[in-house]
Amino acid sequence: MMKRIWVIFQKELTDNLRDYRSWTTGLFWALFGPLLIGGLIVMLGRNVRESIEAPLELPVSGAENAPNLIAFLEQRNVIILPAPADAEAAVIAGDINVALIIPEEYGEEFSSGETATVQLVFDSTRQSASPDIRRAEDLLEAYGNYIGLMRLSLRGVSPEVIRAVQIEEVDTATPQSQALIFISMLPYFIIFAIFNGASPVITDATAGERERGSLEPLLINPVPRGLIAVSKMLSAIPFALLNLLITLGGFAAIFRILPIEELLGIQIGFDSGALVSIFLICLPIVLLACAIQTLIASFTKTTKEAGTYLPFIGLIPSLPGIALAFLPVKPALWTMLIPTFGQQILINQFLRAEPISSMNILVSAVLTLLLSVVITFLAVRLYQGERIITG
Amino acid sequence: MIQVQGLSKSFGKVKAVQNVSFSAPDGQITGLLGPNGAGKSTTLRMLYTLLKPESGTAQVDGFDVRESPLEVQKRIGVLADARGLYPRLTSRENIRYFGRLHGMEGEALENQVDSLMTLLDMQDIADRRTEGFSTGERLKVAIARTLVHNPKNVLLDEPTNGLDVMSTRAMRQFIQRLRDEGRCVLFTSHIMQEVAALCDQIVIISRGEVAAHGSPEDLRRQTGKDNLEDAFVAAIGSEEGLQ
Repeated sequence: MMKRIWVIFQKELTDNLRDYRSWTTGLFWALFGPLLIGGLIVMLGRNVRESIEAPLELPVSGAENAPNLIAFLEQRNVIILPAPADAEAAVIAGDINVALIIPEEYGEEFSSGETATVQLVFDSTRQSASPDIRRAEDLLEAYGNYIGLMRLSLRGVSPEVIRAVQIEEVDTATPQSQALIFISMLPYFIIFAIFNGASPVITDATAGERERGSLEPLLINPVPRGLIAVSKMLSAIPFALLNLLITLGGFAAIFRILPIEELLGIQIGFDSGALVSIFLICLPIVLLACAIQTLIASFTKTTKEAGTYLPFIGLIPSLPGIALAFLPVKPALWTMLIPTFGQQILINQFLRAEPISSMNILVSAVLTLLLSVVITFLAVRLYQGERIITG
Repeated sequence: MIQVQGLSKSFGKVKAVQNVSFSAPDGQITGLLGPNGAGKSTTLRMLYTLLKPESGTAQVDGFDVRESPLEVQKRIGVLADARGLYPRLTSRENIRYFGRLHGMEGEALENQVDSLMTLLDMQDIADRRTEGFSTGERLKVAIARTLVHNPKNVLLDEPTNGLDVMSTRAMRQFIQRLRDEGRCVLFTSHIMQEVAALCDQIVIISRGEVAAHGSPEDLRRQTGKDNLEDAFVAAIGSEEGLQ
């Protein structure tokens, strides 16, 4: 029995290795994740650094009306620029992020102790401008508070009287946690690569076999059909594994080449230990990817038809992965019951160097393997029926 | 030796094959003759274990197709209607693959592949990938693949379909050679002349049923017609399938 499996496995391997174009396309998908994440990290890293360290460039019109305010701003790392004549138009056009307009009456109002008005011009829907807007707002508010407190003190009133509630901001969202959103997508790219490594081979071995008219002659050979189905599934495993290795290698390279700490201010746990662990965690997914695609592709009549279904199969594991990027899920046991979802959480934990429960690893592996076995069994049943021939 | 008794098969409401019985002895060529869609291929597909009969039995060398399909598969060589090859494998690799699936290996397999390629005069295409082969070249590979395990029973579904005159002649000589080697040869055809020229026994199938059965001599006698063409028309009751 093992011999027959080996014969089919070996033939599919040779046959598909010669189909150079298909499997190299699969490899491209393995590099897609590392390149995308690498690019995002570089971009995000630049943003993070710029918005924190760089001085705020603030176009101001009427700076001469408020020398005190301007001095206050300049002390706080703001570069005062002359504002364009029509500040609103410039903001709308996107030439500047934010502009401060100090009217002529400012000086008069300020001296007489009234509330002096300044205008901040910005477009709140523009995401890229929001760090600048927020900084300008905060600085102006700080200046207002500072002057207010000074005035109260001069009149002998304790500043605490008007400050019934003091807000102390403890913002746990750091630039790092922004970066982690992207890191959370990494497990999905790994799974995606596994699926895409297997699919050209499986398509050729199932739908392709039918399309070429070689399925019928093949099934007449004295080999139990279930064995044929299993062998075909197994022959996709080396390709899926290769893709898994290349993706992991790609991520490792990117995290090694890019100065992650400098860019994002965090460390990502992608040393060789984590790499091996992630590889092992993904092994059950390799089996699942091969099994599920074998089952689906066996239903299809042509490679073209298989080509329309299989990418969707690869997308299904992405749904929880994308949710994970925005809604952090705790690695509870129930999440491990969902094949591929559990592994995505575990991979994330490895990347963040969090303590990992071995129970979780075990449960997710066993469940994924179980599902793979059930699906393989269904594929075997499909091959044993007449539908496989009559379509 | 192939024995078929009361074989029936439907697809949904369509009764493809109804109560078909015949036997094909060793050392003889038996032809299943009938118009397109008469049920010849379905009958053959049940014989080579691809489809399961609804009722009736079919036996190859005494093994039932339903109960011991693997035993049947070991004893038959089939040129099915679908005769696709693996385009990225060479002729030799295509043939060798099927030999291995029959449990052959090593020297014995290589010798058998070589002798088949000599027999079919295909040494020049032996180590070329089958992509882009002509119909005749593809058929040679398919036949070599069919015979690689030296089966006692050979089932051929429309073996001359799509061949030019020279290839058709060669194919017919090849079928006779198989008979002379003592094999049981069963083939289907919708071409009356071909069946008449080759067969020791003819089974005429029409609308899923056996319309007549016997040697060409028997058929002429049964229908009371002098030539086989008229006998065929009389048996199926129409002129379908005449060329």
